[in-house]
Amino acid sequence: MGDRKQARNEEFQSFMVGRWPRLMRTAFLLTGEQHAAEDLVQSTLEQVYVAWRRVGSADDPEAYVRRVMINAHARKHRRRLKEFLAPRDDSGLVHEAPDTGDRIAQADDRSALLKALAQLPARQREAVVLRYWEDLTETQTAEAMGCSVGTVKSNAAKGIAKLRAIPGLAEMVTQGGRK
Amino acid sequence: MSADQNRNHDMSQTDIALLLADAADEVEIGIAPVQAVIRGGRRRRARRWAVATVTALVVAGSTGALAVTGLPGGGHGDRQTNVAKPPASAEARHVYEPQRTELARGTYKGKEWHVTVQVWGAPRNEAEADRQFDAMAELGIEPADARKPADLIGKISYFATRGWGENRPQQVMFNTVEKFEKYSGTDLEAAATRLGYGGESSGRLVIGIVAKTARQVTCHWKDGTTAVAEPTEGFSAHDTGSAIRVVDGFQGANWFVCTGPAGTSYASAEVTK
Repeated sequence: MGDRKQARNEEFQSFMVGRWPRLMRTAFLLTGEQHAAEDLVQSTLEQVYVAWRRVGSADDPEAYVRRVMINAHARKHRRRLKEFLAPRDDSGLVHEAPDTGDRIAQADDRSALLKALAQLPARQREAVVLRYWEDLTETQTAEAMGCSVGTVKSNAAKGIAKLRAIPGLAEMVTQGGRK
Repeated sequence: MSADQNRNHDMSQTDIALLLADAADEVEIGIAPVQAVIRGGRRRRARRWAVATVTALVVAGSTGALAVTGLPGGGHGDRQTNVAKPPASAEARHVYEPQRTELARGTYKGKEWHVTVQVWGAPRNEAEADRQFDAMAELGIEPADARKPADLIGKISYFATRGWGENRPQQVMFNTVEKFEKYSGTDLEAAATRLGYGGESSGRLVIGIVAKTARQVTCHWKDGTTAVAEPTEGFSAHDTGSAIRVVDGFQGANWFVCTGPAGTSYASAEVTK
C-alpha cells in the first residue's frame, strides 16, 4: 500500500512539473497578474492532488485540471481581477500601432492585450483563452467551462469582437499581429 | 459572409492566438512548487475529513433523536438538542489530542518557522485529566495555573506555539479557562516573540487574538513601518507571514500573526478595520 501511495505521489509530481509552465501561462492570461496566476495554478493543483487517485488513472487528466482551474478562476479571481486590472491611469486601452521589433512597443502590445482581456466578462475571457490560447475545440472548451457548446461559441465570438474593437489591438491584428 | 471576409475573419483569430501566446510569454514560470502543493493538498484532504466527521456527527444525532421519538412512552424527543449535543467521547472532544491550526509560516535563516494554535478539550473527570496532563507533558507544553492534573478538569486549554527548524516548538500565548472569552470591537491581545532562536529576530513575530469581526490588524514596528494582517484561508507561496485566521475549536475570537522586517521589532498592534 505504501509503495502504491509513493508511486502515485511520484506520478503526480512528474505530472505537475510537466504541466506547470503551460498552466502558468493559461492562468496568467486568465488573471493578468503573476502572483494571481501562481495562486490559481497552485490551488488548482492542490485540488488535483486530493483527487489524484481518480484523476491520474483517468483518460484525460488535463481535462480535469482545466475544469478545476476554470472553476477556481470563476470563484476566486473574477471580482479581484477586475479591480486589479481596471486601468487606473488615463492610458485607457488606446495604443498606437507599434513598430515591429521595438521591445518597448512589444511590451505595450502585451499590456494592451492583458488589459483588453481584463475588460472582458470572465466567461468571455475564459472562452477566448481556452479556444485561442489553449487551442481547445468548442466541445473541449464547453467541458472545461461546464456549459454548452452554444454558450462557448457565443462567449468566444463576443470576446473576440470586443478585442477587435479595441483600436490598438485592431491595428495590430490588421497588420498581421506580432510574429 | 464572403470568402474574403471569411479569410480575414480567420486571419484575425489566428493573430489573436499569436498575440495571446506573446502575452502569455510575459509570465515568469519559475520552478514548480511541488512540495508546497502536496502540503496544501494534504491540508485540503484533512479539512475534507474534518467536514465529513462533523456531518457524520449531525447525522448520528438526528438518527438518535428519531429513535428516541419512536420509543414507547418516549415523549417528545428534542431533535434539535440531540443534534447540537457535544460529542461524548474524550477523543472526539479533543481531550488527548488537541485541534491544531497553523497560523503562519515562513523561512528564517534557511529554516522554516511556523506558528500553530492548539486547543485541548476540557477533561470531565480525573482519569481524563491525568491522560491530558501526560499528553501535554509529552509535547513539552505546560498549562497555565495547573500544578496537578485535577486542575484541568472542566477547563479548556489553548496554546499558541512557535517552532523553528527541528527545534521543539515553544509556547508563547496560552491559557486554561472554563469558557472562552468573547472578544468584540477592537479588543486585542498580543505577544511579541522571535522568528528563530537567536536574539537578533527578537520582536519580529507578533501573535495575538482579536474579535471575530476584525477585518484588519495593523502591527507597527519600531522603525515606523507596518505590517497588515487580514483574514486569510489556506496558504500560498505569496503569504506575507501576516494573517488573521479562524482557529479550530477556539470560540469567541480569531487569531492573528504579524511578521516584521529584519532590523526592527514590535512597537504596537491595533485593529484597523
